[in-house]
Amino acid sequence: MVGGRALRTPRYEVIEHTADAAIIAYGDTPADLFENAAYGMFDIMFDLDAVAGSSSRPVVAAGDSLEDLLVAWLSSLLAEAEIAGLVFCGFTVDRLEEGGVQGSAHGAPVSGVELLGPPVKAVTYHDLAVVEVPEGWWARVVFDV
Amino acid sequence: MEARRVGDVVWELEPRGGMRVPGRVFATPELFERAAHDRALDQVANVAHLPGIVGASFAMPDIHWGYGFPIGGVAATDVADGGVVSPGGVGFDICCGVRLLASPVTVAEFRRHGDGVMGELDARIPRGLGEGSIASRRLLADVLERGAAAALDAGFGTGDDLDRCEERGTSEGARPDLITRRALDRGGTQLGSLGAGNHFLEVQVVDRVEDSEAALAFGIREGAVCVMIHCGSRGLGHQTCTDHLEEMGRAMRRHGIEVPDRQLACVPVESDEGRRYLGSMAAAANFAWANRHVLAHEARVAFAAGGIGDPLRLVFDVAHNLAKVEEHAVGGEARRLCVHRKGATRAFGPGHPDLPPGLERVGQPVLVPGSMGTASWVLAGSVENPAWASAAHGAGRVMSRKRAKAEQRGADVRAGLEAEGIAVRPGSVRLLSEEAPYAYKDVDEVVSVCDRAGLASPVARLRPLGVVKG
Repeated sequence: MVGGRALRTPRYEVIEHTADAAIIAYGDTPADLFENAAYGMFDIMFDLDAVAGSSSRPVVAAGDSLEDLLVAWLSSLLAEAEIAGLVFCGFTVDRLEEGGVQGSAHGAPVSGVELLGPPVKAVTYHDLAVVEVPEGWWARVVFDV
Repeated sequence: MEARRVGDVVWELEPRGGMRVPGRVFATPELFERAAHDRALDQVANVAHLPGIVGASFAMPDIHWGYGFPIGGVAATDVADGGVVSPGGVGFDICCGVRLLASPVTVAEFRRHGDGVMGELDARIPRGLGEGSIASRRLLADVLERGAAAALDAGFGTGDDLDRCEERGTSEGARPDLITRRALDRGGTQLGSLGAGNHFLEVQVVDRVEDSEAALAFGIREGAVCVMIHCGSRGLGHQTCTDHLEEMGRAMRRHGIEVPDRQLACVPVESDEGRRYLGSMAAAANFAWANRHVLAHEARVAFAAGGIGDPLRLVFDVAHNLAKVEEHAVGGEARRLCVHRKGATRAFGPGHPDLPPGLERVGQPVLVPGSMGTASWVLAGSVENPAWASAAHGAGRVMSRKRAKAEQRGADVRAGLEAEGIAVRPGSVRLLSEEAPYAYKDVDEVVSVCDRAGLASPVARLRPLGVVKG
């Protein structure tokens, strides 16, 4: 969860990309960053403030670096949501360590939720960045839509 | 990025750093200026780093900033010379493409049944998120193996349809056994669905014929109603590319290959990883060929149910996101090249041995959809094509989705189109603004460059009567 930090910065911002969609996500910790990037990925497709649901799915992903792990985590969420027919609106990273990330996501059935942006097809490695700064962490992710 | 004009509509980026070949962009000064405005030219230069690339890193006139390759990027690598295959040169929507059907029905006849047909299309064409019209797992296995041929044998389409599909609607060498469980679970039930974003089904009318011999061979005549379908391999293709990018990033390091953008991860075509990717890609491509085939069937059913009968005949089906091993002349010698077309259409000229019966003299139909509400074009491949028999694939975006959304509300975009006599059946009204005509380049200018550069020549211009969007 974002805690008090949400009062200072948004969870994510949409940045310009001619054809696709790109966000910068923020977090106090890498786990926080991963949760907020996931929120951003689904929030550009749906209005997550209006989505409430408790259908939960475990999410695991592997990768060699923090950048790889972020792409793998977001890609897993995307696939799990489409397979389960859910819109995920809440994300929890339980464990983030070298080589793997474990967590879960919950949400509501996609039927009946209005699509507000083009569906994200995939998470790309293009222009990918995960950066630690004195205030915490930020990441830039470009999605294929 | 410095470039110099080397021809009427040709710009060259000289090799610098690790570029193995020059970059070559086909554009008017205005289109080139737009490409230079974002990072598309950097991407042309990045593609020129691929091991084994020959000729140039090409960009079609609808070039724009993508991920890895620019959209509109074409690159060929010499297979026998360590040439690589890069999933980034295909994209996540494997074998995304366009299918055009033509009829002898006039606009006046269509208008008499317009509401009925549009209503039937609205009801029958699955779009947005979720499942398609075919959810049979049994058919899926055959589709991954044989593409549109499997859909035809299952009762969709008519006997001569396959003659008018690139590769006869079947990508050879498919390895359905390599499609992951996750890809099957994600996209297996989406056969017969459009998806969303820039995908669409449009009812159009031929408003101008520029080459009557080619139009006749293609089965297109002025004033006649057509149906154009733009879609790809849905979640199954998206997941297949995702699965391979992870694997390929690691394999690339083992092969000692370095590229300037991780999305350009690549391995030699003649490597285990390269063969695995091409086999998986072919299976996902088969899903896409079959997907457009099933949607075309649904359009025919909708026309019949709407009272027009069954007048739709296939003009052609082309992919614009694919890598294929083709034979081309390099320095006067025939070479096997792995040609990547990322947002570019194959465009074989007259006399090419792979052309179907009836098209030998005129070349392959090249389908160039414009933006929603504007014209689309049918072109014909040309013998003198300078870019590995490739041409443009669309108008090309010029405005980000964020800015397009801020410009107008979806409801206003719809009202504007309806005022011009274009019926709009959106899956999501709010999404219409992102695909509004003002977000795209002028398709007529893109086609003009194709003509002047010898990429493909104009045959007919189509304008929309009705739009079904995700």
